[in-house]
Amino acid sequence: MTLLEQVGHATIDRVEDAGALTMQFWSVLWKLPRLLPIVGAARRWRATVGQMQAIGASALPMSGAMSLCTGFILALQSASELRRFGALEMVVSLVAIGFTRELGPLITALSVSGRSASAISAEIGTMVVTEEIDALRVMGLDPVEFTLAPKYLAALITLPCLTVLSTLFGIFAGYLFLAFSMDMSLRVYLQAVAEAVLLRDVGFMLLKSMVFATIIVHVGCLEGLRVRGGPEAVGHSTTAAVVKSTFLVIFADLIATAIFYLVGWSSIR
Amino acid sequence: MTNLGAAKAGDAAISIRGVSMSYGARRVLDQVDLDVRRGEILVLLGGSGSGKTTLLKHVLGLTKPEAGSISVNGVDITRCSRSELHAVRRHIGVAFQAGALFNSLSVEENVALPLRELTRLAESTIKLVVWMKLIAVGLSDAGSLYPPELSGGMRKRAAVARAMALDPEILIFDEPSAGLDPIVSAGLDELILFLKRSFGVTILVVTHELESAFRIADRIAMLYQGRLIAVDRKEQFAGNLHPRIRQFLDREPDAMPRVAAEEFIETYFRGAKHDH
Repeated sequence: MTLLEQVGHATIDRVEDAGALTMQFWSVLWKLPRLLPIVGAARRWRATVGQMQAIGASALPMSGAMSLCTGFILALQSASELRRFGALEMVVSLVAIGFTRELGPLITALSVSGRSASAISAEIGTMVVTEEIDALRVMGLDPVEFTLAPKYLAALITLPCLTVLSTLFGIFAGYLFLAFSMDMSLRVYLQAVAEAVLLRDVGFMLLKSMVFATIIVHVGCLEGLRVRGGPEAVGHSTTAAVVKSTFLVIFADLIATAIFYLVGWSSIR
Repeated sequence: MTNLGAAKAGDAAISIRGVSMSYGARRVLDQVDLDVRRGEILVLLGGSGSGKTTLLKHVLGLTKPEAGSISVNGVDITRCSRSELHAVRRHIGVAFQAGALFNSLSVEENVALPLRELTRLAESTIKLVVWMKLIAVGLSDAGSLYPPELSGGMRKRAAVARAMALDPEILIFDEPSAGLDPIVSAGLDELILFLKRSFGVTILVVTHELESAFRIADRIAMLYQGRLIAVDRKEQFAGNLHPRIRQFLDREPDAMPRVAAEEFIETYFRGAKHDH
């Protein structure tokens, strides 16, 4: 195969991915109201609660620990530079803004992507291999409503919550550093954080985390549904799911940050 | 070979006409005509890669053929709307090869699933129906178990119970004896015969197991390389002289691999000897 052909094939594959993801996204979106308690179908919300546990709650220790470490690293790295200008207290705003706008959503998304994109694609891929998806369709039950939609709704609810918690962990790590290095009190620290972070930043953070949730769940589901053949195909699909969702999360982050930069919302006030 | 499996219109529960399908350049189904008559057990025989699984997916409306039509209870499922397809599927129960039970639900909940989702029956009625179905397949004391705790035979029985949940007119079995020992497999054959006797359902069985086929079938159809090469009552089928059917019934291997192996030995081993 020539280089040109390879580039061509790769491009076609990406376009195909994008198309399939968009179609899947819409079909799942239309089914979300069916999952709500009271107005939706009976008992359906229970599946969502189970998924909230699997995708969200179980990821807390992991994403919390990652944020704590990253917060400490960020504080350490920036302190060594800022100290030269005698501006050690600037570490506060750096950690606070850095985490709210960027690292909180990103680290949470990466940890969930590693855990859940693979788990989702493995689960759905296995259902394809064991004909459970076919069984649902033959019984007249919609696999989208039954398996895909609960996962998406669960991620859409839990990822912003996880992101808020991760951000708090990261900001707390910044406090730990400053408390040790310059005996800053928690009260002073929190005041500085409150001054640094705007409500707009928090909104941006939540919006980002919902975009990331969309990417992780839909890439996981799509790779799972694409499984053809035997159990070994499930293994390939989990790898593809993690790689693609991790890349897409970071790429989406770049796009979102670039838009906010160009609009001017991220400039220093 | 056209209209080999065709019956008079009206008494067919499933009627397949001129169905063709190919994946890329490979022809998987080639002009298949087949009728499953009401109340009979039709066994669809075929080796691996004969297209029997593909034909099954077409009958269930999971795949659309390139050409031809498939009518189930008089409705052409290759051209009907989505809601019509749903309506048709309510009259079909399918026992998938590995059971396709949902692992997060117990056996009872698996059987209850179609009842809970597709009917407005009261919970007490659903309990009763589930219990009756489990008794019918001989699993009355396994209702609270989860699929991973079941043996292969039990899993297939549970799948049959779920397929029967909505009292379908047509039952479809995909490889019912695959992966089972002879005793359990014979038990499943008995179950299939029992379901036909007591509920009068039309049954389509896809398999490659000869013994089981001859025990349960009223008629046997044989697929070979996507073509239907015979449809007959099982007594006549056993005497069919088509070379492929003879080969299948007499369990003879294809000639090709042996020749290839001999050629391989000829070239590499004898050739190597001459070198020394």
